Amino acid sequence: MQFISPSSSRPGFGERLSRSLEYLTFKARSHNAVTAFELVERVISEQRKYLMYREMFPREWKRSRASLYRRGYYERYSERVNELFNLVNDNCFPLLEFAYDDPENEFEQFAIPPMNVDLCCEEIYFENLKVSYAAALVFYVPDEAWDFLNHRFKLSRSDFPEIVADPHPNVWDGKNGSLLGELLRLVDHSTGNPWLDSNYCQTADWYNWDRETIAGLTAEYEAANEVFEKLNVLDEMIEADPGKMLRALIDFWNTGKYPGLVLPSTSTSENHL
Amino acid sequence: MNRETPLDRLIRETERVNPAILLAEEFMRRGAADLLSAEEIDRAAEVLNDARAEIETIRRQIAAFVRSPPSASSRTPIGF
Repeated sequence: MQFISPSSSRPGFGERLSRSLEYLTFKARSHNAVTAFELVERVISEQRKYLMYREMFPREWKRSRASLYRRGYYERYSERVNELFNLVNDNCFPLLEFAYDDPENEFEQFAIPPMNVDLCCEEIYFENLKVSYAAALVFYVPDEAWDFLNHRFKLSRSDFPEIVADPHPNVWDGKNGSLLGELLRLVDHSTGNPWLDSNYCQTADWYNWDRETIAGLTAEYEAANEVFEKLNVLDEMIEADPGKMLRALIDFWNTGKYPGLVLPSTSTSENHL
Repeated sequence: MNRETPLDRLIRETERVNPAILLAEEFMRRGAADLLSAEEIDRAAEVLNDARAEIETIRRQIAAFVRSPPSASSRTPIGF
Protein backbone atom coordinates (compact mmCIF):
# COMPACT_ATOMS: atom_id res chain seq x y z
CA MET A 1 0.00 0.00 0.00
CA GLN A 2 1.35 3.36 -0.94
CA PHE A 3 1.37 5.95 1.79
CA ILE A 4 0.50 9.47 0.69
CA SER A 5 1.72 12.10 3.07
CA PRO A 6 -0.87 14.72 4.12
CA SER A 7 1.61 17.36 2.95
CA SER A 8 1.79 15.71 -0.47
CA SER A 9 1.93 18.17 -3.31
CA ARG A 10 -0.90 16.32 -5.10
CA PRO A 11 -2.93 19.01 -6.85
CA GLY A 12 -6.38 19.80 -5.51
CA PHE A 13 -9.69 19.09 -7.24
CA GLY A 14 -9.85 22.49 -8.93
CA GLU A 15 -6.40 22.09 -10.44
CA ARG A 16 -7.16 18.54 -11.64
CA LEU A 17 -10.43 19.77 -13.15
CA SER A 18 -8.59 22.57 -14.97
CA ARG A 19 -6.10 20.03 -16.30
CA SER A 20 -8.92 17.76 -17.49
CA LEU A 21 -10.65 20.64 -19.24
CA GLU A 22 -7.42 21.60 -20.98
CA TYR A 23 -6.90 18.00 -22.08
CA LEU A 24 -10.45 17.66 -23.43
CA THR A 25 -10.19 20.97 -25.28
CA PHE A 26 -6.97 19.72 -26.83
CA LYS A 27 -8.43 16.32 -27.78
CA ALA A 28 -11.31 18.01 -29.59
CA ARG A 29 -8.79 19.63 -31.96
CA SER A 30 -5.79 17.33 -31.67
CA HIS A 31 -5.45 16.47 -35.35
CA ASN A 32 -5.00 20.05 -36.44
CA ALA A 33 -1.26 20.60 -36.89
CA VAL A 34 -1.50 24.38 -36.54
CA THR A 35 -3.45 24.11 -33.27
CA ALA A 36 -1.01 21.49 -31.96
CA PHE A 37 1.89 23.74 -32.96
CA GLU A 38 0.39 26.68 -31.05
CA LEU A 39 -0.19 24.47 -28.03
CA VAL A 40 3.38 23.14 -28.01
CA GLU A 41 4.67 26.69 -28.42
CA ARG A 42 2.63 27.79 -25.40
CA VAL A 43 3.72 24.81 -23.30
CA ILE A 44 7.39 25.45 -24.09
CA SER A 45 7.00 29.17 -23.35
CA GLU A 46 5.34 28.43 -20.00
CA GLN A 47 7.80 25.67 -19.07
CA ARG A 48 10.69 28.07 -19.72
CA LYS A 49 9.05 30.55 -17.37
CA TYR A 50 8.45 27.89 -14.71
CA LEU A 51 12.15 27.06 -14.87
CA MET A 52 13.00 30.72 -14.43
CA TYR A 53 10.50 31.04 -11.60
CA ARG A 54 12.06 28.10 -9.73
CA GLU A 55 15.59 29.41 -10.24
CA MET A 56 14.89 33.06 -9.45
CA PHE A 57 12.32 32.71 -6.66
CA PRO A 58 12.67 29.19 -5.21
CA ARG A 59 10.88 29.96 -1.91
CA GLU A 60 7.90 31.55 -3.67
CA TRP A 61 7.76 28.63 -6.10
CA LYS A 62 7.62 26.16 -3.24
CA ARG A 63 4.84 28.08 -1.50
CA SER A 64 2.84 28.86 -4.61
CA ARG A 65 -0.63 27.39 -5.11
CA ALA A 66 -1.33 29.32 -8.32
CA SER A 67 -2.72 27.11 -11.07
CA LEU A 68 -0.51 25.78 -13.84
CA TYR A 69 -3.57 25.45 -16.11
CA ARG A 70 -6.08 28.22 -15.43
CA ARG A 71 -5.41 31.41 -17.31
CA GLY A 72 -4.34 34.39 -15.21
CA TYR A 73 -4.95 38.13 -15.61
CA TYR A 74 -2.59 38.10 -18.59
CA GLU A 75 -4.74 35.50 -20.24
CA ARG A 76 -2.14 34.07 -22.59
CA TYR A 77 -0.36 32.72 -19.51
CA SER A 78 -1.25 30.48 -16.58
CA GLU A 79 -1.85 31.90 -13.11
CA ARG A 80 1.60 30.61 -12.12
CA VAL A 81 3.33 32.49 -14.94
CA ASN A 82 1.32 35.59 -14.02
CA GLU A 83 2.73 35.20 -10.53
CA LEU A 84 6.25 35.24 -11.98
CA PHE A 85 5.49 38.47 -13.88
CA ASN A 86 4.35 40.09 -10.65
CA LEU A 87 7.44 38.86 -8.78
CA VAL A 88 9.73 40.31 -11.44
CA ASN A 89 7.73 43.54 -11.32
CA ASP A 90 7.99 43.76 -7.52
CA ASN A 91 11.57 42.58 -7.09
CA CYS A 92 13.49 43.34 -10.27
CA PHE A 93 12.13 46.23 -12.33
CA PRO A 94 8.80 47.76 -13.45
CA LEU A 95 7.89 45.08 -15.98
CA LEU A 96 4.14 45.68 -15.96
CA GLU A 97 4.05 49.45 -16.32
CA PHE A 98 3.14 49.29 -20.00
CA ALA A 99 0.75 46.35 -19.58
CA TYR A 100 -1.35 47.00 -16.48
CA ASP A 101 -4.57 47.53 -18.41
CA ASP A 102 -4.01 45.03 -21.20
CA PRO A 103 -4.85 41.41 -20.26
CA GLU A 104 -4.01 40.32 -23.82
CA ASN A 105 -0.43 41.54 -23.52
CA GLU A 106 2.37 39.14 -24.50
CA PHE A 107 5.69 39.04 -22.70
CA GLU A 108 7.76 36.96 -25.12
CA GLN A 109 9.18 40.33 -26.07
CA PHE A 110 8.62 43.37 -23.92
CA ALA A 111 9.52 47.05 -23.71
CA ILE A 112 10.65 48.97 -20.64
CA PRO A 113 9.41 52.39 -19.49
CA PRO A 114 11.98 55.21 -19.74
CA MET A 115 13.14 56.64 -16.39
CA ASN A 116 14.70 59.80 -17.79
CA VAL A 117 13.01 63.08 -18.72
CA ASP A 118 11.91 63.23 -22.32
CA LEU A 119 13.46 66.50 -23.50
CA CYS A 120 12.10 66.38 -27.00
CA CYS A 121 8.32 66.13 -26.59
CA GLU A 122 7.49 66.15 -22.89
CA GLU A 123 6.64 69.35 -21.06
CA ILE A 124 9.41 69.85 -18.50
CA TYR A 125 8.30 70.59 -14.95
CA PHE A 126 11.48 72.00 -13.43
CA GLU A 127 10.07 72.04 -9.90
CA ASN A 128 9.73 68.25 -10.03
CA LEU A 129 13.33 67.66 -11.16
CA LYS A 130 16.41 67.19 -9.06
CA VAL A 131 18.00 70.60 -8.87
CA SER A 132 21.27 69.36 -10.43
CA TYR A 133 19.32 67.93 -13.37
CA ALA A 134 17.41 71.21 -13.76
CA ALA A 135 20.69 73.16 -13.69
CA ALA A 136 22.23 70.95 -16.38
CA LEU A 137 19.33 71.79 -18.66
CA VAL A 138 21.02 75.16 -19.38
CA PHE A 139 22.86 73.22 -22.11
CA TYR A 140 19.72 71.74 -23.67
CA VAL A 141 16.73 74.04 -23.02
CA PRO A 142 18.58 77.20 -21.96
CA ASP A 143 15.74 79.74 -21.84
CA GLU A 144 13.51 77.68 -19.56
CA ALA A 145 16.45 76.49 -17.45
CA TRP A 146 17.78 80.02 -16.86
CA ASP A 147 14.26 81.17 -15.96
CA PHE A 148 14.11 78.41 -13.37
CA LEU A 149 17.58 79.20 -11.97
CA ASN A 150 16.78 82.89 -11.83
CA HIS A 151 13.50 82.23 -10.05
CA ARG A 152 14.98 79.70 -7.64
CA PHE A 153 18.50 81.06 -6.94
CA LYS A 154 18.45 84.57 -8.47
CA LEU A 155 21.13 83.51 -10.95
CA SER A 156 21.38 85.46 -14.17
CA ARG A 157 22.70 84.13 -17.47
CA SER A 158 24.79 87.27 -18.02
CA ASP A 159 26.85 86.55 -14.89
CA PHE A 160 28.23 83.31 -16.34
CA PRO A 161 30.62 82.46 -19.20
CA GLU A 162 29.19 81.89 -22.66
CA ILE A 163 28.32 78.23 -23.23
CA VAL A 164 30.04 76.66 -26.26
CA ALA A 165 27.88 74.75 -28.72
CA ASP A 166 29.72 71.42 -28.44
CA PRO A 167 30.83 70.10 -25.08
CA HIS A 168 34.44 69.11 -24.39
CA PRO A 169 35.10 65.39 -25.13
CA ASN A 170 35.79 64.79 -21.41
CA VAL A 171 32.06 65.12 -20.84
CA TRP A 172 31.52 61.79 -22.60
CA ASP A 173 34.40 60.01 -20.84
CA GLY A 174 32.75 57.82 -18.23
CA LYS A 175 36.12 56.55 -16.93
CA ASN A 176 37.21 59.74 -15.16
CA GLY A 177 34.47 59.26 -12.56
CA SER A 178 33.42 62.89 -12.71
CA LEU A 179 30.07 63.48 -11.06
CA LEU A 180 29.45 66.42 -13.40
CA GLY A 181 30.07 64.11 -16.37
CA GLU A 182 27.64 61.59 -14.92
CA LEU A 183 25.03 64.35 -14.68
CA LEU A 184 25.59 65.61 -18.22
CA ARG A 185 25.53 62.13 -19.74
CA LEU A 186 22.26 61.50 -17.88
CA VAL A 187 20.67 64.68 -19.22
CA ASP A 188 22.00 63.90 -22.71
CA HIS A 189 20.56 60.35 -22.55
CA SER A 190 24.07 59.02 -23.24
CA THR A 191 24.73 56.82 -20.23
CA GLY A 192 24.66 53.46 -22.00
CA ASN A 193 21.90 52.40 -19.60
CA PRO A 194 18.65 51.48 -21.40
CA TRP A 195 16.46 52.78 -18.56
CA LEU A 196 18.11 56.21 -18.81
CA ASP A 197 18.77 56.54 -22.53
CA SER A 198 15.34 55.63 -23.90
CA ASN A 199 12.44 58.02 -24.25
CA TYR A 200 8.85 57.94 -25.43
CA CYS A 201 9.66 59.64 -28.74
CA GLN A 202 11.83 56.91 -30.17
CA THR A 203 10.77 53.40 -31.09
CA ALA A 204 11.01 51.20 -28.03
CA ASP A 205 13.69 48.52 -27.82
CA TRP A 206 12.21 45.06 -27.41
CA TYR A 207 13.69 42.59 -24.97
CA ASN A 208 13.42 38.82 -25.08
CA TRP A 209 12.04 37.05 -22.07
CA ASP A 210 15.00 35.01 -20.87
CA ARG A 211 17.05 34.74 -17.71
CA GLU A 212 20.05 36.71 -18.99
CA THR A 213 17.92 39.61 -20.19
CA ILE A 214 15.92 39.77 -16.96
CA ALA A 215 19.13 39.69 -14.90
CA GLY A 216 20.76 42.32 -17.13
CA LEU A 217 17.77 44.67 -16.98
CA THR A 218 17.57 44.20 -13.20
CA ALA A 219 21.21 45.22 -12.80
CA GLU A 220 20.76 48.18 -15.15
CA TYR A 221 17.64 49.28 -13.27
CA GLU A 222 19.58 49.28 -10.00
CA ALA A 223 22.42 51.20 -11.67
CA ALA A 224 19.93 53.74 -13.04
CA ASN A 225 18.50 54.34 -9.57
CA GLU A 226 22.03 54.73 -8.22
CA VAL A 227 22.74 57.43 -10.79
CA PHE A 228 19.79 59.44 -9.48
CA GLU A 229 20.89 58.82 -5.89
CA LYS A 230 24.40 60.06 -6.66
CA LEU A 231 22.92 63.34 -7.81
CA ASN A 232 21.85 64.02 -4.21
CA VAL A 233 25.46 64.99 -3.48
CA LEU A 234 25.40 67.52 -6.30
CA ASP A 235 21.97 68.78 -5.24
CA GLU A 236 23.29 69.53 -1.76
CA MET A 237 26.30 71.36 -3.17
CA ILE A 238 24.15 73.41 -5.53
CA GLU A 239 21.78 74.33 -2.73
CA ALA A 240 24.80 75.41 -0.63
CA ASP A 241 26.46 77.52 -3.36
CA PRO A 242 24.48 77.57 -6.60
CA GLY A 243 26.66 80.17 -8.39
CA LYS A 244 29.91 78.30 -7.76
CA MET A 245 28.47 74.97 -8.80
CA LEU A 246 26.87 76.30 -11.96
CA ARG A 247 30.14 77.97 -12.92
CA ALA A 248 31.94 74.64 -12.37
CA LEU A 249 29.37 72.87 -14.51
CA ILE A 250 29.71 75.38 -17.37
CA ASP A 251 33.50 75.23 -17.07
CA PHE A 252 33.39 71.43 -17.33
CA TRP A 253 31.15 71.62 -20.41
CA ASN A 254 33.37 74.23 -22.09
CA THR A 255 36.87 73.02 -21.13
CA GLY A 256 36.50 69.49 -19.76
CA LYS A 257 38.08 70.49 -16.44
CA TYR A 258 36.31 69.02 -13.47
CA PRO A 259 36.90 70.36 -9.99
CA GLY A 260 37.60 67.01 -8.30
CA LEU A 261 33.96 66.00 -8.11
CA VAL A 262 34.14 62.28 -8.61
CA LEU A 263 31.65 59.54 -8.05
CA PRO A 264 31.27 58.07 -4.58
CA SER A 265 33.44 54.95 -4.56
CA THR A 266 31.61 51.62 -4.43
CA SER A 267 34.38 50.01 -2.37
CA THR A 268 34.48 52.70 0.31
CA SER A 269 31.85 55.00 1.68
CA GLU A 270 34.13 58.01 1.34
CA ASN A 271 33.04 60.73 -1.06
CA HIS A 272 35.85 62.16 -3.16
CA LEU A 273 34.82 65.78 -3.32
CA MET B 1 7.63 14.69 -71.75
CA ASN B 2 6.92 14.63 -68.05
CA ARG B 3 3.25 13.72 -67.70
CA GLU B 4 3.33 13.89 -63.92
CA THR B 5 0.48 16.01 -62.60
CA PRO B 6 0.60 18.13 -59.42
CA LEU B 7 -1.66 15.55 -57.80
CA ASP B 8 0.81 12.75 -58.67
CA ARG B 9 3.57 14.75 -57.06
CA LEU B 10 1.47 15.32 -53.93
CA ILE B 11 0.67 11.61 -53.66
CA ARG B 12 4.37 10.78 -54.03
CA GLU B 13 5.30 13.06 -51.08
CA THR B 14 6.30 11.36 -47.86
CA GLU B 15 3.37 11.28 -45.51
CA ARG B 16 3.68 11.55 -41.76
CA VAL B 17 1.91 13.03 -38.80
CA ASN B 18 3.14 16.52 -38.02
CA PRO B 19 5.54 16.17 -35.05
CA ALA B 20 3.75 19.01 -33.22
CA ILE B 21 0.64 16.79 -32.97
CA LEU B 22 2.65 13.96 -31.40
CA LEU B 23 4.46 16.30 -29.05
CA ALA B 24 1.24 18.08 -28.07
CA GLU B 25 -0.30 14.71 -27.19
CA GLU B 26 2.75 13.89 -25.08
CA PHE B 27 2.61 17.23 -23.30
CA MET B 28 -1.10 16.91 -22.62
CA ARG B 29 -0.63 13.52 -21.00
CA ARG B 30 2.16 14.87 -18.88
CA GLY B 31 1.20 17.22 -16.05
CA ALA B 32 2.44 20.79 -16.25
CA ALA B 33 3.77 20.32 -12.73
CA ASP B 34 6.22 17.68 -14.04
CA LEU B 35 8.56 20.36 -15.21
CA LEU B 36 10.67 19.84 -18.29
CA SER B 37 14.41 20.18 -17.92
CA ALA B 38 16.28 22.81 -19.91
CA GLU B 39 17.50 20.07 -22.28
CA GLU B 40 13.98 18.74 -22.81
CA ILE B 41 12.75 22.26 -23.55
CA ASP B 42 15.53 22.74 -26.11
CA ARG B 43 14.67 19.40 -27.75
CA ALA B 44 10.99 20.38 -27.84
CA ALA B 45 11.94 23.69 -29.45
CA GLU B 46 13.79 21.74 -32.18
CA VAL B 47 10.72 19.60 -32.79
CA LEU B 48 8.70 22.78 -32.98
CA ASN B 49 11.01 24.15 -35.70
CA ASP B 50 10.57 20.90 -37.61
CA ALA B 51 6.78 21.16 -37.20
CA ARG B 52 6.79 24.78 -38.36
CA ALA B 53 8.80 23.84 -41.47
CA GLU B 54 6.31 21.11 -42.31
CA ILE B 55 3.32 23.43 -41.88
CA GLU B 56 5.00 25.96 -44.16
CA THR B 57 5.79 23.27 -46.75
CA ILE B 58 2.16 22.15 -46.82
CA ARG B 59 0.96 25.75 -47.12
CA ARG B 60 3.31 26.25 -50.09
CA GLN B 61 2.12 23.01 -51.67
CA ILE B 62 -1.52 24.03 -51.31
CA ALA B 63 -0.77 27.44 -52.83
CA ALA B 64 1.11 25.81 -55.73
CA PHE B 65 -1.68 23.28 -56.24
CA VAL B 66 -4.29 26.06 -56.39
CA ARG B 67 -2.16 27.92 -58.95
CA SER B 68 -1.51 24.85 -61.14
CA PRO B 69 -3.27 24.81 -64.55
CA PRO B 70 -6.28 22.52 -64.87
CA SER B 71 -5.76 19.36 -66.92
CA ALA B 72 -8.39 17.15 -68.51
CA SER B 73 -9.16 13.94 -66.69
CA SER B 74 -9.06 10.64 -68.56
CA ARG B 75 -12.44 9.77 -67.09
CA THR B 76 -15.51 11.86 -66.39
CA PRO B 77 -16.58 11.91 -62.74
CA ILE B 78 -20.04 10.52 -62.04
CA GLY B 79 -22.70 13.20 -62.16
CA PHE B 80 -21.20 15.23 -65.03
